[in-house]
Amino acid sequence: MGSVHAGTPLLYATLGELMEERAGIVNLGLEGVMLMGAVVGFGTTVQTGSAAMGLLAGALAGGLFNMLFGFLVITCRANQLASGLALMFCGVGLSALLGVSYIGSRIEGLKEIPLPVLSNLPIVGPILFNYDILVYLAIPMAFLVWWVLFSTRWGLSLRAVGENPTAAFAAGQNPHVLQFQALWIAGLLGGIAGAHLSVGLAKTWAEWMTAGRGFIAVALVIFSKWHPLRAIIGALLFGGAIALQLQMQAWGVPISPFILDMLPYILSLAVLAVWGGARRYAAPASLGRVFQGTE
Amino acid sequence: MIRQGARLTEKILVVLTSLALVLACSVSTAASAEPKLKVGILHIGSVADAGYNQAHAEGVQVMKKNLPNVEVIEVENVPEAADAERVMENMIKQGAKLIIPASFGYLDPALRVAKKYPDVKFEHPGGYKLAPNLGTYWASTPEAFYLMGIAAGKTTKTNKIGYVVALPISFFLANINAFQLGARSVNPQAETRVVFTGTFLDPAKEATAANALLDQGVDVLGVIVDSPITVVQTAEKRGAYSVGYHYIGVSKFAPKGWISGIAFTWGPLYTRFAQQVMDGTWKSENLLGSLGSDYLTIAPFGPAVPAEAVKLVNAKKQEFISGKLEVFQGPIRDNRGAERVKAGGVWPMTNLGKMDWLIEGVIGQAR
Amino acid sequence: MSPTGELANRLGPHRHGRLGSLFRFAALFGLAFILFAIVLLVFGKNPVKAYVDIFRSTLGSTYGFSEMLVKMIPLVLTAVAVAVPSRIWLINVGGEGQLYMGAMFATWGALTFSNLPAWVLLPLIFVLGFLGGGLWGSISGILRARGWVSETISTMLLNYVAILLVNFLVFGPWKDPESANYPQTADFVDAAILPAFGNTRVHLGLIFALASLILFHFVLSRTRWGLEMRAIGGNPEAARRNGIPIARYIVLLLFIGGGIAGVAGMSEVSAIQGRLRPSLSPGYGFAGFLISWMAGGDPLGIVAAAFLLAIITASGDILQMAQGLPGSVVNILMALILFVALARHGRKAGRK
Repeated sequence: MGSVHAGTPLLYATLGELMEERAGIVNLGLEGVMLMGAVVGFGTTVQTGSAAMGLLAGALAGGLFNMLFGFLVITCRANQLASGLALMFCGVGLSALLGVSYIGSRIEGLKEIPLPVLSNLPIVGPILFNYDILVYLAIPMAFLVWWVLFSTRWGLSLRAVGENPTAAFAAGQNPHVLQFQALWIAGLLGGIAGAHLSVGLAKTWAEWMTAGRGFIAVALVIFSKWHPLRAIIGALLFGGAIALQLQMQAWGVPISPFILDMLPYILSLAVLAVWGGARRYAAPASLGRVFQGTE
Repeated sequence: MIRQGARLTEKILVVLTSLALVLACSVSTAASAEPKLKVGILHIGSVADAGYNQAHAEGVQVMKKNLPNVEVIEVENVPEAADAERVMENMIKQGAKLIIPASFGYLDPALRVAKKYPDVKFEHPGGYKLAPNLGTYWASTPEAFYLMGIAAGKTTKTNKIGYVVALPISFFLANINAFQLGARSVNPQAETRVVFTGTFLDPAKEATAANALLDQGVDVLGVIVDSPITVVQTAEKRGAYSVGYHYIGVSKFAPKGWISGIAFTWGPLYTRFAQQVMDGTWKSENLLGSLGSDYLTIAPFGPAVPAEAVKLVNAKKQEFISGKLEVFQGPIRDNRGAERVKAGGVWPMTNLGKMDWLIEGVIGQAR
Repeated sequence: MSPTGELANRLGPHRHGRLGSLFRFAALFGLAFILFAIVLLVFGKNPVKAYVDIFRSTLGSTYGFSEMLVKMIPLVLTAVAVAVPSRIWLINVGGEGQLYMGAMFATWGALTFSNLPAWVLLPLIFVLGFLGGGLWGSISGILRARGWVSETISTMLLNYVAILLVNFLVFGPWKDPESANYPQTADFVDAAILPAFGNTRVHLGLIFALASLILFHFVLSRTRWGLEMRAIGGNPEAARRNGIPIARYIVLLLFIGGGIAGVAGMSEVSAIQGRLRPSLSPGYGFAGFLISWMAGGDPLGIVAAAFLLAIITASGDILQMAQGLPGSVVNILMALILFVALARHGRKAGRK
């Protein structure tokens, strides 16, 4: 269904942002990272004819671009919010410049892979089980991120850095290295999200084609209260909201698409207001300092 | 110590930059031979979109080829907000005497600029307000959509056709209604489902909408957005047929499933505009072309369309051109059951701006 | 990071001495412009000609200069909208949403009371614009004052809601029946259009922008409220113990900041657009945040930074027309300036 398809780039982007926020860094420039992934992924696919190469290149582009962000906020200790916005502007401009020659190009894109038995089920089969590989891998990826964050030593160290970098440092961790690692992974995931948009979903390139999805991912991380598994629901919900109103039109149901689009954000606010925002058991403490302005 | 060193570096940087600026200002540009007419065109998107913008851009290219002493100033991706006025003024400052603001949303900015420069002529596509130096033009497309409906109605196997449309603007609704009428005329079971993406360009939404429609069993996809690439490609990928819009070369995206398309070939019209401005015979009017005009073209048919459909389309085309046939002949009901055109009556083409409903047989919300 | 270092990072580029900081600004620009020139060279364009074109089209003519002022007006207003709450360390990234709400309230006034004469209608929609943005900001203020949600998060989320609300109205109940079902409201009557100076598009909003700067500076440095604000900003705990009502200031300052952004929305919709459309703002709210940050929340710095940003964004079209570059490349230049400012400033703060 459309919401699964539309929710996939959102989920990858959210997982990436979640990673870096767990390490105590908020990246408002995720939009730029996704755009770099989208343009490089699309361009590479056009040049090489291989969607797999395109996805790989897009992921790498996202990772490298996020390293620029890392340099700013970790090495130079620059203000995270401003740096993120600057990164976004850079991504928009750079991707536009790089993408000029690729507008109107055609690609085969990611092939749909019908699952062997399941896609032959009547009615649901072709609809639910006929997607490209990234869609199938999205939810497993969320579980992987969950496992890494909560069941590995590295994940524990990362979360410790996000809660209290000084204490983590005192305990023998190197916060900067861990944060860079988190940003690298976040960049890869953001790049994949963007590449999926251009190579898998729309199979074309247009300036600023992420249309705010990077910012939605930032909101999604909040909505899922920094937990990878809740992010799945969030991505389906938000992605669903985008796709659902289109879907509902196809069904012939009369509903205002904007009211529907608004719900996820209002819900996020409500969820936070009721169950505690950046204070109680939600945001990593050191990230909370960014939000509270005491950083 | 370090602080002083840093200050020194800063000072050097400032001096260097100022020097560079001064040097730059003394650079003079060589004068070139003055062309007889400078034409400025503003695009809302990219001219490589195989759609709305490319059609306008190619029209201007044809004009340039026909009139060698015409120079073109072209700007892409101009937002419809405050920037459009500034871009137009910049073009006029560079000597443009004919401006083509090629997007619906440029109308108000163009009118404001037109008031300031009475000797510059403006031609706005799809506009609905005139000024002494601003004319509007468009080609009335419902008849062409009716013909597309015939072709699609004859080609569809599931009798379900889908349309991905940007916004429920009256002219687009009229197109859909005409399409449905054409389809029904050859296929009484044909139905059209419409999904509005809410924006003129968002490939991801267009893909989602296209897939949603295909999931509902449609096997023909039509499109009214700025760039038809996404929808046509999605249809081709899933083995459906497609109907194009705006640009004549879209068929290359769907070699198997292409039915036909409606294309704007603005070249001859723009050539005429430029010529009139140069001759001094230009006048402001609301130019509404039709099937017989040389700027509205039916794209060549694809392999999937049955030969009898092609014959029928050509026959009906002649009937429209000769005036024998009217698209919106009554009785017509909308898809909520209300009667919109009485039996024996006609909804005139000049009143399309007021059409805010969808015809019965179309599944979708106009408002 | 030491406390002063933290504060400095929060505040923006450290300023000791006006002339010194202006100089520093200039040096930053120089570096960023050189970097951008390199980018242009890489893509085969002539950077010298590009900069000449930019200079000529923005500062080299009265028209260019006036257009730059037109762009500066909303930038200054949204920057002050961020600067005001930033004095007590509140982070307002909701300028975009507050701007849209201001425009929405103003539009309601213009459409409903279209029979009133200009000298009544204009002040009315001004007040409505301020109210709209102010109420929107105060939502975040209340959520923060009660300790429920950080204002960074709530202002960010409310951006989306505001834009969607405007979309809903413009596609639905407020759609102009004369515009062929196109999503925009009806034309504002002439009485609701903010007048401009002479032949240019520079409108009364300039007065609002200047007034907001002057008032901001005046209140902060000369009044008791300003003193209390600075006290909260300097040492919240001590301020609280001295009886300063912090919660009240949180709501008040976010109300005022939001209101100023709302005025930006009102002046854009009234003076520039003449009707409400979904495409009202190309990101003025975010730009305002960046400007306020770059300027350290200082009024003079805001003018300088807004000036710079206005030049850069206005130069997008000339770069396109003359150089054949996509207009968005100016985003790269803007980003480069920011990167340089961020990197340098972050280092200094860290060194303390």
